[in-house]
Order: sequence, then C-alpha cells, then structure tokens
Amino acid sequence: MARAVSTRRKIFFTALAWIVALLLFFPILWTILTSFKTEQEAIASPPMIIPSWTLDNYFEVQARSDYFRHFLNSVWISVGSTLIALLFAIPAAWAMAFTPTPKTKDVLMWMLSTKMMPAVGVLVPMYLIFRDTGLLDTVWGLTMILTLINLPIVIWMLYTYFREIPVDILEAARMDGAILWKELVYVLVPMAVPGIASTLLLNIILAWNEAFWTINLTASKAAPLTAFISSFSSPQGLFWAKLSAASTLAIAPILVLGWLSQKQLVRGLTFGAVK
Amino acid sequence: MTVEATAGAVSRTQPKIANELLKSRVGAAMWFLLPMLIALAIVAGWPLLRTIYFSFTNTSLSSLYTGEWIGFKNYLNWTTLKSGRTVFSGLLVDPAWWNAVWNTVRFAVVSVSLETVIGMIVALVLNAEFKGRGIVRAAILIPWAIPTIVSAKMWSWMLNDQFGILNDLFLRLGLISHKVAWTASADTAMTAVLIVDIWKTTPFMALLILAGLQMVPKDVYEAAKIDGVHPVKVFFKVTLPLVRPAVMVAVIFRLLDAMRIFDLIYVLTPNSASTKTMSVISRENLFDFDKFAYGSAQSTLLFLIIAVMTALYIWLGKVRFDGGDR
Repeated sequence: MARAVSTRRKIFFTALAWIVALLLFFPILWTILTSFKTEQEAIASPPMIIPSWTLDNYFEVQARSDYFRHFLNSVWISVGSTLIALLFAIPAAWAMAFTPTPKTKDVLMWMLSTKMMPAVGVLVPMYLIFRDTGLLDTVWGLTMILTLINLPIVIWMLYTYFREIPVDILEAARMDGAILWKELVYVLVPMAVPGIASTLLLNIILAWNEAFWTINLTASKAAPLTAFISSFSSPQGLFWAKLSAASTLAIAPILVLGWLSQKQLVRGLTFGAVK
Repeated sequence: MTVEATAGAVSRTQPKIANELLKSRVGAAMWFLLPMLIALAIVAGWPLLRTIYFSFTNTSLSSLYTGEWIGFKNYLNWTTLKSGRTVFSGLLVDPAWWNAVWNTVRFAVVSVSLETVIGMIVALVLNAEFKGRGIVRAAILIPWAIPTIVSAKMWSWMLNDQFGILNDLFLRLGLISHKVAWTASADTAMTAVLIVDIWKTTPFMALLILAGLQMVPKDVYEAAKIDGVHPVKVFFKVTLPLVRPAVMVAVIFRLLDAMRIFDLIYVLTPNSASTKTMSVISRENLFDFDKFAYGSAQSTLLFLIIAVMTALYIWLGKVRFDGGDR
C-alpha cells in the first residue's frame, strides 16, 4: 500500500519535473528549430513546427559577417580573462582563507560592493582610460576588463572552497620546509582542483555572456559574439531564421560545456553548497 | 631533569618556528592581496570618483576635460522669475528620472519576489526523487547559462506581434482575443520584460534554494511524518526557517542585479518609456542626448540608492555571506 503511494508520488514528481524542464527549454528549442527553416517558413502562419532542415542560414551567417572571427574573439576573451583572474585570485584567496586578519571580512565585503556598482556609472571614465591607452576595440583590452570585473566572484568562490581544506595539511607542509610557492603549487592547488575547476567553468560562462562592456568598448574588430548578436540585423528583408542560426551558434558552446560539466557547474553556482 | 628541560626547550622552540613561519606567511598574504586590491581600485574606485566628480560639473561629451564646477545644479537648481515664481529644475524634480526609478523598483520587487516563489516551488520539485534528475537539473540551468543578449533576441522573436509563436499559442488557447504587440505597447512591455527575466533567472534561484534544501537533514522530515504533521505545516515551520539564510543571500544577489538591469531592456524594449530603468536612462543621457553631466548625476544617484538599499537589507536581515566562522 505504502509502496503504491510512493510509486505514484514518484511518477507525479517525474512528470512535473519534466514538464517544468520542457517549458524552460522550449524557447531554446524553438530557436534551434527556426534556425533550420527558410525565412519564408519562419514567418509562416500558423507556425511550422518541423523545419525543412536547411543549412543555408548557417552558411550565410558565416559568409556575410565572418562569424568565426567573433567566435574566436569570444573564446580568447572568456578563456584568457578566466586564466588571468585565477592567477591573481588563487594567492589572494589563499591569503584570506588561511591567514585571516580582522580586516579579512571588510576586504570581502568591499569586493562584493564593487559588484553592486552599476556599470553605467563607471562606463565613461573607463572608456576614456581605454581610449587614452589605445585599448579600445582590442581583444586585450576586453580580456583585461573582464578579468577585473569577475575577479571578486572568482576570489569569493575560491575562498569558500579553500576554507574547506584543513589548515593542518598546509602547516605540515610548512613544517617540512616547503617554501611558500611550493606550498601553494604542490599542496594547495592539487587539493583544490575540483573547486578551481568549477570556478573556471563558471567564470568562462560569465565572461562568455558579458554584454555591457563588450558592446560599449568594441566596434567590430574585437567584437565577441554578444556584441555581434546584439547588432545583428539584415540589410534587407527577413532575418529571423538567420538570427536564429547566429543565436544557436552562440549558445552551442555553452550547451556543450554546460552539459559536460553540469555537476561542477551546479556546485560552483551554489558556492559549493550542492555537491 | 635534563630530559624535562630538553622537552621544554623543544616545545618552546616549536611554536617559535611556527610563529615566525606564520609571520612570514602573513607578510606574504599581504603581498598577495595587494595587487588584487589595487586592480579593483582601478576598475571600481577611480572611475566611480570620476563619475561623481563629473556630476558636479557641466561637462559634455565634446568637452570632457574642460567642464566647470557647478555644484549641485545638476541635482537641483532654481531660478526666480520676474513674477516672483520660483522654477525648480534638475534631477531631483525630473519626472522622467522618477519614472525610471519607479520602473526599476517595480521591476526589481516584482521579478525577485516571483522568482523566489517560483524558484522555491521548482526547488521543492527538484528535491524530490524522480527519474532523470541530473538531466532535468542541467536542462533547467540552460536559460541562465546562455547570454542575456541572445535570450532577449530569441524572446523578441517569440513575442513578435505578427509572426510570434506565443501570440499564436495564446490565441488558440483562447487566452487573448487578438494578436498583442507585447514589446511595443506600453501596457504589456513591462510584462514582456518580466516574463523573460523570470524565465531566465528562476532556475538560478531554484538552484540556490535547492542547495539550502539539501542541507536540511532527512531525519527532520521523518520525525515530522511520524508525528503526523501536515506537509504544508512542515514546509512553513521546518523547511522555510532552515533554508532562510540561503534564500536571503540569493535574494540580495538578485535584487542588486535587478536594480541595475540593462541588457535585457536594451534589446527587448529599447524605446518604451514604461520599461526605462535607471541604468537605461542614464546611459541615454550620457551618450545619446549629450547631457553628459546630467547622466553622471543619474549614475551617482543610482549608485547611492543601491548602496543604501544593500546596507538596509543586510542590517535588517542580518545576512551572513561567509557561511559562519571557521
């Protein structure tokens, strides 16, 4: 009896969860389907569900606007900024996690406060700095600014991971005469690999999606996919199917990356709380 | 005696070595923090000070370095007419600005509360046992993980008044009687923005709450079940208080984000006065309307509002971000 109830419960929750997931996934599915339609099919009324599976839109997006250049820009900027941020953040998070001072909490709060800042408020001074140093519309400039913008989050995440590592192990290495950089490279980093990996993934996604700075600080040369999509329009006529193709290409890496690493991602997103 | 003395010496030198090591580590720690603090100061502190300075000048885009100090005139200014009437001008009496403030607050409060409630429901569903939990968990994450710019474009296509699938669907279901121009008409623009934001952010909320739910020990539920407590009561008396800290942190992160919302509105409803938020309107003044100093004043005020709100929230809710002491 009790078993029957619990089976029924299970079926109910399974159905409910899948309905929720499908509802949430539908807009993405619709975009992918539209990307395989011709422009005429895309605006058909009533809407056509099954496309004719044409690949023309993809070829046109590449031919017309050199999609791969933007794609490579996105890759450089997101991966580059993440690696540089980690280089800064690992020592900083180590410092806060293992040699806390009364000021540590203030530093953490201050870091958080920089995330509260409305980006509009600092856009013009930042734009001026970029212009005066010749960094406008360069991949390097964008990599730098995204590094700095995501640094608080990276440090914060690493800090929460590092705190789970028992301080005794580091102390033991220290007593055995490990000098500082050896303590970091050979003891701390190997133990924190899962934490560092999820931080890395999450930050790549954040950098991939960043739009405010990429739109405002690039023109065309260094524009990553977000800037490309936001300015996407067709010189003439219909462009919904092509836009869908461009969008599909822009989210494809995220879908693949997210799928391969969903466990770490969930853990990273919740600051290590869901394991 | 000698043995004891040696032991004493050892135990005295041991902490001394450890102490010196610790000291050198604390010194190194400072050097590790310093570059990061300087970097953040460059990206956050200096530009912010400059924006605040601009807001007290009459700088324009064409004369960025030659603006003059004009005090609070961008914020509030008045002139007395010959007839003796005083006319106020400036940001603090600008209806367009207050409209944007109202839009932002309305958006933030409605979206974050709906996202919290729906997120809670989704989290409760995900916390139950069912087939394919991993896949479902990954699938619901996708809306959050893809770029806002892309989802805004996708939705503007789905919400299109002529060819959008949503109009078609709602017509068939009898929810609407004629096709609605969701993003263009003033009545529905905010609803459209809310729908997209809720779609995008609820999964994130759900995950954060799920994290809290998973930390609730299973025994608690079993005990309640044995005592025959009604599930609804269990939720309000047991689950909710236990996940409250996780929810509070999630809510504040979302609230801060919502107050600054820019990209979604920039793409979805660029020209609608009914969705213009503080970020959107100050960018407009900064670049499009050549009212640079005025836009700076708006940015400054936006920063102040967010800072005050955060302080209040932390103080009222006693939020702890660091998960307690070591």
